[in-house]
Amino acid sequence: MVLDLTMSMAILALMGALATIAGCLEDLESDVGSQSNPNSQVQLAPQMGFLHRIFNKAISGEPISNGMSAVIGGTVTTVLLSQKFYPLTAIVIGAFFGAIILGIFATTSYAGRVASQTRFKQPLYMDIMRYTTPSIIGHNFIMNFCLVAIAYIQFEILGYPFTIPFLALIWGISVGAIGSSVGDVHYGGEREFQNREFGCGLNTALSGRIVRKAESGLRNSIDNVWFCAKFGGPATGIALGLTVFFSSWPTTIFGYTWKAIGVGVLIVVVLIIMNRLIELNVRHAYGPYKEEKNEKEAKA
Amino acid sequence: MVAIDPTLLTNILLIGLSGTLICLAVHFIPVGGAPAAMAQATGIGTGTVELAAGSGLVGLITAAYMYTNVENAPMALILAAGAVGSMVMLASTMFSGGLIYAYGVAVPFASAQVKKDPITGDRQDTYISKGTQGQGLPTICFVSGIVGAALGGIGGALIYYVLVGIYGQLISATSAAAVAGVFTLGVFYVNAVVPSYGVGGTIEGVHDPKFRRVVGKDIFTSFFVSILCGLLAVLIAGGISP
Repeated sequence: MVLDLTMSMAILALMGALATIAGCLEDLESDVGSQSNPNSQVQLAPQMGFLHRIFNKAISGEPISNGMSAVIGGTVTTVLLSQKFYPLTAIVIGAFFGAIILGIFATTSYAGRVASQTRFKQPLYMDIMRYTTPSIIGHNFIMNFCLVAIAYIQFEILGYPFTIPFLALIWGISVGAIGSSVGDVHYGGEREFQNREFGCGLNTALSGRIVRKAESGLRNSIDNVWFCAKFGGPATGIALGLTVFFSSWPTTIFGYTWKAIGVGVLIVVVLIIMNRLIELNVRHAYGPYKEEKNEKEAKA
Repeated sequence: MVAIDPTLLTNILLIGLSGTLICLAVHFIPVGGAPAAMAQATGIGTGTVELAAGSGLVGLITAAYMYTNVENAPMALILAAGAVGSMVMLASTMFSGGLIYAYGVAVPFASAQVKKDPITGDRQDTYISKGTQGQGLPTICFVSGIVGAALGGIGGALIYYVLVGIYGQLISATSAAAVAGVFTLGVFYVNAVVPSYGVGGTIEGVHDPKFRRVVGKDIFTSFFVSILCGLLAVLIAGGISP
């Protein structure tokens, strides 16, 4: 389909918005289900004598599990589209199927993981499974919907050479990689160890000593997602939104030329400079942890 | 004696080269694994395979789209499109991850492998919090990651370019793109897994002493594994019929 510049930009903006929502929801789903790297602490806690009421789902690495649910969504959508379903209905039904499959994996992995910790007396809380699983499915449904919608737009409107399930798989893997790299740090580095002084750094000796008390009562995964939705989730959304937007924006504006490649490189250089500015900002704001030896000697 | 088509050999060698590039790329990307997710190690808080594949596959999408839209596209343009897609993905990820380290966990960026950042000259050791192996993404890690992403993107795009050329002669363009895409995905994962044994789960980037220690062995292994992948890719073409 040939589009004029205004329409191309509108579609690109829509894809960027969908990607931002998908990224945010992916991270929040991994927080409410406790998946990926920070889950190592949730897994370790009972072994250190810290029994908890946090969901413990690590189906696989985030990219693979999200790729799985997205590709199921994409496949079901493609089947329904071939049966002349209205695209929006097909995407919704496809996304729902993917989310349900992930929900099934979530319950079995939670039960399996807790069962393996019997010797540490970690209980399997049925109320946690009942309240948290629908939240996992809900978050994943929205992510699937956004990713399959992006795949649909790319295949049907923009004419990408890959099919909807394959594009959904690639975006599922990418969103998982981004969520695991960005939002999980907020969950693992801050929320799980919130009783420590802010900015003190996390000594490896603290491993497994996660916070188990909430603002009111005992902490569960719903409390965690509430906290991570303030920063970790949106930051992940921004990362995927930027990826989807800036990987297509240069070619949309400058065509399929070397000029577009140059603009893409320029965007990367700008991001390097912005990272450097943040680095300088935090170095000045927080200062070093240790005094330099020379300074100590001078004081002595 | 059976004569071997030189084009066939070139294609296999190019796939071998692509796989090697992907393997090399993984060594450049600063991955801190699970400790980095708790701000206990420098780098991105995820695994080598996840991140290399995630960024490389975005490069695959941009390269494939460039290939579709430019008639008789030169190889360099396709490879550059792949590199840019990967770099944009990794730069966005590292930048957003940096925001979390800086303002969500409130730790300064510091490398545990060098006393001073080779690019900025900033002191690193005094900024490492007690009981950790550094945290965040100092400039050297960020730049190293970008170089790695570019190499990974080029590697992925090159495999796609070669395979879509082979399969495109046998089946329809859509089917050729699908088979080439799936095979590229497979070669990507193979070559992201090979170096993760060498780096042992974490590496800070090009400045990490581990880089020099393992890169030679990993590349050697990866080249032969990728040649095998290339051989299979060409062999399956024999069974493809329109």
